[in-house]
Amino acid sequence: MAELGRAALVVCLGLSAYALLAGGWAIAAHRRRLAVSAQNALVAAFGSALVAGIVLVVALVRHDFSIVYVQRLTSRELPLGYTLSAFWGGQEGSLLLWLLVLTGYSTAVVYTSRRRNADLLPWIVPPLALVATFFAFLLVAIASPFETQVAPANGVGLNPSLQNPYMVAHPPLLYLGYVGLTVPWAFAMGALLSRRTDEAWIISTRRWTLVAWTALGVGQLLGAKWAYEEIGWGGYYAWDPVENAALMPWLAATAFLHSVMIQEKRGMLKVWNVLLVILAFGLSLFGTFLTRSGILDSIHSFTESSIGPWFLGFIALVLALSLGLLFLRLPLLRSRTRLESLVSREATFLYNNLLLVALCLTILWGVVWPLLSEAVRGEASVVAGPYYNFFLRVFGLPLLLLMGLAPLVAWRRASLRSLGGSFAWPAGIAAATAIVLLLLGAGSSPAGLLAYTFSAFVLGSIGYEFVRGTRARRAVDGGGWFGAFSSLVGRNRRRYGGYIVHAAVVLLAVGIAGSAYDSVKDQRMTRGERMSIGDYTLTYEGTTQREAANARELRAQVAVERNGESLGIVEPGKNFYPVEQQVSSEPAIRHDAMSLGDLFVILETANGDGSVQLKALVNPLVNLIWLAGLVFLAGSLIALWPDPAEERRLLERYALAPA
Amino acid sequence: MTYALAALLAVAAVLFVARPFLREPEARSDRLSEPDELDRRRLALLEERDRALDALRELEFDHRTGKLSDDDYRTLVGPLRRRAAQATRALEPRGEGRERARAAG
Amino acid sequence: MARRSNPARLVLALSVAAVLAVFLVYVSLAGGGTPAVQPSELGGRTEAVVLSGRVVGPVNSSGNLHRFRLRDVKGTATVPVRYEAGLPDQFKVGRDIRVDGQLRSGVFVGKPGTMVTKCPSKYVPKKSNT
Repeated sequence: MAELGRAALVVCLGLSAYALLAGGWAIAAHRRRLAVSAQNALVAAFGSALVAGIVLVVALVRHDFSIVYVQRLTSRELPLGYTLSAFWGGQEGSLLLWLLVLTGYSTAVVYTSRRRNADLLPWIVPPLALVATFFAFLLVAIASPFETQVAPANGVGLNPSLQNPYMVAHPPLLYLGYVGLTVPWAFAMGALLSRRTDEAWIISTRRWTLVAWTALGVGQLLGAKWAYEEIGWGGYYAWDPVENAALMPWLAATAFLHSVMIQEKRGMLKVWNVLLVILAFGLSLFGTFLTRSGILDSIHSFTESSIGPWFLGFIALVLALSLGLLFLRLPLLRSRTRLESLVSREATFLYNNLLLVALCLTILWGVVWPLLSEAVRGEASVVAGPYYNFFLRVFGLPLLLLMGLAPLVAWRRASLRSLGGSFAWPAGIAAATAIVLLLLGAGSSPAGLLAYTFSAFVLGSIGYEFVRGTRARRAVDGGGWFGAFSSLVGRNRRRYGGYIVHAAVVLLAVGIAGSAYDSVKDQRMTRGERMSIGDYTLTYEGTTQREAANARELRAQVAVERNGESLGIVEPGKNFYPVEQQVSSEPAIRHDAMSLGDLFVILETANGDGSVQLKALVNPLVNLIWLAGLVFLAGSLIALWPDPAEERRLLERYALAPA
Repeated sequence: MTYALAALLAVAAVLFVARPFLREPEARSDRLSEPDELDRRRLALLEERDRALDALRELEFDHRTGKLSDDDYRTLVGPLRRRAAQATRALEPRGEGRERARAAG
Repeated sequence: MARRSNPARLVLALSVAAVLAVFLVYVSLAGGGTPAVQPSELGGRTEAVVLSGRVVGPVNSSGNLHRFRLRDVKGTATVPVRYEAGLPDQFKVGRDIRVDGQLRSGVFVGKPGTMVTKCPSKYVPKKSNT
């Protein structure tokens, strides 16, 4: 079986390399059939990557421990779902997933573009093929998932902390995002290669970017949820380099999604947009490199890691090629319009871009600082939470404010007087919120208070936009409020979908700012002892043990009361996995619908004398973060939903004389 | 068995890649279709026109919702209308349209 | 087209400069972060550092107080560590960990809640040791 997988990867490498070379030759010599052949090669590369993927899945399901990868990551005792998720539990499988997703996206690009961007497609194929060739090469020559051995009786098993439903969904979504950012980059390169400076590439790109960006966003939230429920320290984000690796390209893509609108509406920022696309793709490669090369553990392990140097070389190649090409085409990218006024939608978007990119680059600085400081001073230094939190506040809070301002300002220019009229309502709501919160004592955290005030402002301005829009629509079309509302959203899905995404970001901000009001308590408790935290009183009642399929589960029984009212028993505990020889903490989380917060109880240690060390946290508003994920998804889907009338118009515009 | 499957995969891939040449062994035209100078100019004008028309529609709506005052609306609507009209005229099929646009712009 | 000096451009340029200034001021005031060292590099340094190394047994635990030694990942230098907080799940003898703290009379005292083990799903060295 393993031979089939290996052969499929070799075929995939051959096809990708052919797509790169033949596709390159086709555009250089203007050969039509060769160009189509290169496109077919890319599609066929997906087919063979799929075969390799199926081989790995079959091997996992059949517990074929003669394949090293299967033996290292699974065991006979592992439940089927987690056995399948071991596909992306290790390095080689993750790379295969990259290749699979990349060639899958490429196939989708080939088939959708044959209809829409037929004359741009030949130029998009070589950049896509370049990336596919690189990953196929890694899988064939450096990190094959199909290495074989004499099969041992059982496997090592999957790391228990990866045995969590969120960890099944989180990596594939993250990869859909990471890898998806290849597509905008390929479109940008294709447009530059073909000297096409019209907006065909940007119109296709914004949709692909939106897909990748949505997946990356949802993937990150699932990762945060996993960290929250499984790692069990009571938090969801720790500014770990691996987490930052996903956040950086997401921020760059967010900046692009905004600035792309300025290019569409005003024909400005053409060079900047290409730069943002290159940045987003570069960061997605860099993120994969960070998580895969081990460079962050130390520079020394980097030189030992098998794929690190290759990755670094490839990133350098991609950046050199992209920037070189952009430089060559600079004369074509001059824009003829310029910013008319600082009181305009364009200006707010420029500030949004400035802050997003600044946030993205400061995070990047923090991530690479250990390497830089070691190179410069001979000793590595690390920056941690305070550094990132500072910049999140300094750049994030103005961003939040801008999110409320932008919808109120018209394109091109607006007089301050008409602006004043729009401002009254949202500003009033924000002021009222601030006063109420101050009275409630939220002033204990100024940043938190500011975040909430701005959040109220944003929600107010979004709500006001919907109300004003619906009213105007109704005045034109007549009919009921609901009809007017759906017509409003239907006519401009991107804008109103975007507003809903903004609302999701507000929920996220409120949830995150809630952590400023967290409380924590850590206490050794004997049976019957009580601990009070916030409004809660916890009583430790004892421990029990159970045997599960692949683990021994220890649970502490803790009775929860609030204001004298009993709320039942929570069971924080630990699982012991005999096959993997590991422990996994299983915190008890009690959601509270009223405060949207959680009571989070961790069993830290169970002592021989029957006493336990319990850590309890009250995290107010934390559930808004997960709710934000759903709203985010809904808004993105609305923005993504195709509009047939617009599709037709664009098709007409870009349809050239038939070949 | 495994090797037969692998060979089958390779053969299928090669056939699929060669398909454009197998289907049209002797193509009448093997040249890639690319927009020429005229196409590019037409595309630029189309984009210019659509951009102006979109902006007008948006302006209208912003005015109606009260985001733009009457004064703002009046100063902005004129140039946009002119641009949309210019682009539309330049797109007219006959040469005269283009001439006129050039004279006007 | 004649290029007048545009006030909008100026304001944008100033904003970019402001963002850069915020960054530079913070970085120069807050310093270059915390030094990341291995046991062998600890020497007699008593300032706050991030110590990384491999756990060497035996791990003596009583309640929430844990004592063990950390060794250079590649080397023989070790240092006794005292950590008073819940241990991460991945913690065990032979694992590589990282913990903030400082040296106090020959014992490295870890700051509670800062210990992290290497994320398990990531990076596999050439010769797998897991």
